[in-house]
Amino acid sequence: MSASPGSVAEIQALIRSAAAAGTPLIPVGRRSWPGAGGWAPKEGRALDTTPLKRIRHYEPADLTITADAGIGLDELDAGLAENGQWLPIDSPGAGSGTLGAAAATGGFGPLRQRYGATRDNVLGLEVVTGDGRLLRLGGRVVKNVAGYDLVRVFVGSRGSLGVITRVSMRLFPRPEEDRTLIYRVRAERALAMATALRRGHLPVAAVVLGSGGMEGGGGRAATLAARILGGGRGAREITGRVVAALGADPDEALRDEASRRFHDRHRQWEDDARLMVRLRALPDRLDEVVAIAQPVAAAVAGEIAADARNGVVRVKTPAAPAGRDEVVAALAGARGRVEALGGSLALDDAAGELGRRVGWVGRGGGAGGIVRRIKSLFDPHGVLAPRCPE
Amino acid sequence: MIQQSLVRELRAICGSYGVLDDPDALLVYESDALTAYRHRPAAVVLPRTTRETRESVAAIARHGLPIVPRGAGTGLSGGAVALNDAIVVGTARMNRILGIDAPNRRAVLQPGVINAELSVAARRHGLYYAPDPSSQTTCTIGGNVAENSGGPHCLKYGVTSRYVTGLEVVLPDGEVIRIGGQGRDAPGYDLVGLFVGSEGCFGIATEIEVSLLPVPESVRTLLAIFDRIEDAGRAVSEIMSAGMLPAAMEIIDGATIRAVEDSVFAAGYPTDAEAALVIEFDGLEAGLKGDAERARRRCLATGAREVRTAQDEAERAALWKGRKKAFGAMGRIAPDLLVQDATVPRTALPSVLRGISRISARHDLVVANVFHAGDGNLHPNILFDRRDAEELERVERASKEIMRLCVDAGGTITGEHGVGLDKKHHMTLIYGPDELNAMWGIRRVFDPGETMNPGKVLPDETQPVAAAVPA
Repeated sequence: MSASPGSVAEIQALIRSAAAAGTPLIPVGRRSWPGAGGWAPKEGRALDTTPLKRIRHYEPADLTITADAGIGLDELDAGLAENGQWLPIDSPGAGSGTLGAAAATGGFGPLRQRYGATRDNVLGLEVVTGDGRLLRLGGRVVKNVAGYDLVRVFVGSRGSLGVITRVSMRLFPRPEEDRTLIYRVRAERALAMATALRRGHLPVAAVVLGSGGMEGGGGRAATLAARILGGGRGAREITGRVVAALGADPDEALRDEASRRFHDRHRQWEDDARLMVRLRALPDRLDEVVAIAQPVAAAVAGEIAADARNGVVRVKTPAAPAGRDEVVAALAGARGRVEALGGSLALDDAAGELGRRVGWVGRGGGAGGIVRRIKSLFDPHGVLAPRCPE
Repeated sequence: MIQQSLVRELRAICGSYGVLDDPDALLVYESDALTAYRHRPAAVVLPRTTRETRESVAAIARHGLPIVPRGAGTGLSGGAVALNDAIVVGTARMNRILGIDAPNRRAVLQPGVINAELSVAARRHGLYYAPDPSSQTTCTIGGNVAENSGGPHCLKYGVTSRYVTGLEVVLPDGEVIRIGGQGRDAPGYDLVGLFVGSEGCFGIATEIEVSLLPVPESVRTLLAIFDRIEDAGRAVSEIMSAGMLPAAMEIIDGATIRAVEDSVFAAGYPTDAEAALVIEFDGLEAGLKGDAERARRRCLATGAREVRTAQDEAERAALWKGRKKAFGAMGRIAPDLLVQDATVPRTALPSVLRGISRISARHDLVVANVFHAGDGNLHPNILFDRRDAEELERVERASKEIMRLCVDAGGTITGEHGVGLDKKHHMTLIYGPDELNAMWGIRRVFDPGETMNPGKVLPDETQPVAAAVPA
């Protein structure tokens, strides 16, 4: 059962009546972030944000845009491309997601090193809180320190504090050229190459690694993809230095449309996942995190992909994993090892059972009291995505 | 008057040099860099460690006195002023860099570390700390965290909050929490992002983890001279629209140019010009020449009378000199200076600049503009003499009109200096009762007793009567 309110006033009314009746609401966009990391309860009524999808303010020369939360990132991108601009959100699921969901999940992808995470580029939000109040936070200018930064709390709160109805974002010039150098090598070699690129301080926009599945090949070989954005002599120079640092010519050099398609596929890699396991630690521990992820991948018959610059390793499986006890043991063991490195392991589990047995995010930061007080400040009746993991 | 028992208690925690209560010694702490607001604190405590901070905060809380956290006191909003006999907890003695983790481009430090010193230390590893407020040779990273400070190079690299990845915080009741850390990627509410920019109202950061960037291989600096400031504003818009992303774009106006050229800081800018635009690109040497040439052509096309390009580090410093010494030079023109900090959409720059000059003419005031043009972050400086009461009134009226003008253009009341005491009464220009209520609520989440830097950021009259937050 879901509700599709056609205006902000209807969203407010819906939330107020849900609060009065004590029935939970789950704000949703196109549902491309499956399971929402355990933040959304299984029970509860979906509040569909996609009917609201207008662009409210777009002045290309300001490099900012304000639009309703329900607009798809793909629809937004088409309009931005006409003006040579883009919104470099490449967090997993972003390919098919909405602007509101990108803000609500607050994720990041490989492009973070170059453009910042989503949360760094959200300038303002309009949200309806759990008691039906409409808040206009932040603004549409790129520098703004007026008052406490409530925008930050809502970005990444996964609908647990309010329904995001409108978002203002900072935009960037679309790179003149987009190229990706692809190396198909053994896994150890791919990791060594990623390390060489990190140490070289080269302005490479993204470095992603994958087991064969990422490329659709299915074999045992790994893939390392280095993305270079920009035009002219600068981009050619970086390309030359990447090849020199890696000591080999790429197996394939993708340009522009082909390069974008490669990264779009990578962005959509999670779309068919029933279980996603995200491990992360500092980037120089990538080898160890990959080694920790391998038994998890074996236990769930999953594939591995890594965002080398950000130290993120993901394991996905499109099938619901069998052998629950073994899987629970593998996940718990991996979490213990990655937390010992100072990192974390988080789950997105469409079925929910593993998340409940293993725990969605592991140990919290010791600020549980503050987290609970923030939740009750904005959602005093616990009507929005009530299960808020710490 | 502070109770001697509390002073003794604080001395036992921080050592006898760590507590100041002599009225003369306290004079230094009566204001920050916005000297219009002056209140002498009851005492100043200078802890050296998290433990000393925690114990001092807990002791002061037991005595029911308010606390004002303070870094180097270079803030420009009155945020570090001690109202109502508050006790200042200063971070000056917590000035150690605890570690630089070069492979992960990360540093962990105490809050009293000077901004520029972090970059100096990181440089050995080929890294630097990106946010560069104009006060960077004296301001502290702890103060930058409190204010979410910007700086000229934030155009390309973003402000402080993008670089702070973890915090250890002493809460107003003395509890110590750790938020974020090791890269700030853990799932959950972004408490680090919320704390950054909280202007000392949520607690005192005692350990800060930041991310560092590789030092750019090469830098190109240009200086374009314009006869009309609107043309300089247009050049900025066109350069950005053309897809270039300079590291910095700064404008100083004619009044400021003349102040600089009349001073010991003379930088060789032509005194009959009405605007000077400093543009800087950084990155790989190979790409810079093309960028600089494209920007030069855009400036000439929008009416620049000349464009100079720095050939070496000395010339680069000379081009920047007029911008960097602008505030110092203004001291020659008038004894007092009111620095404003509004941000407007970039495309609104030309019309807002015209509006500011109309307002200053109407009130018979000299306004000198120095600003981060690429970000649309204006710093109109109203020059005056506070001994002239009638002029002071005109300054206040003009200041309010300029603020209103910027808000009406789609902007905000502060881009990087913070609200503090100075701008809290302007908060109602941009936020309604629900937003202000939410901000009071979030303040009470961290500081239920409102003892941490009370009287700042939020206008007193908007304070909700009932406590909005359950324990």
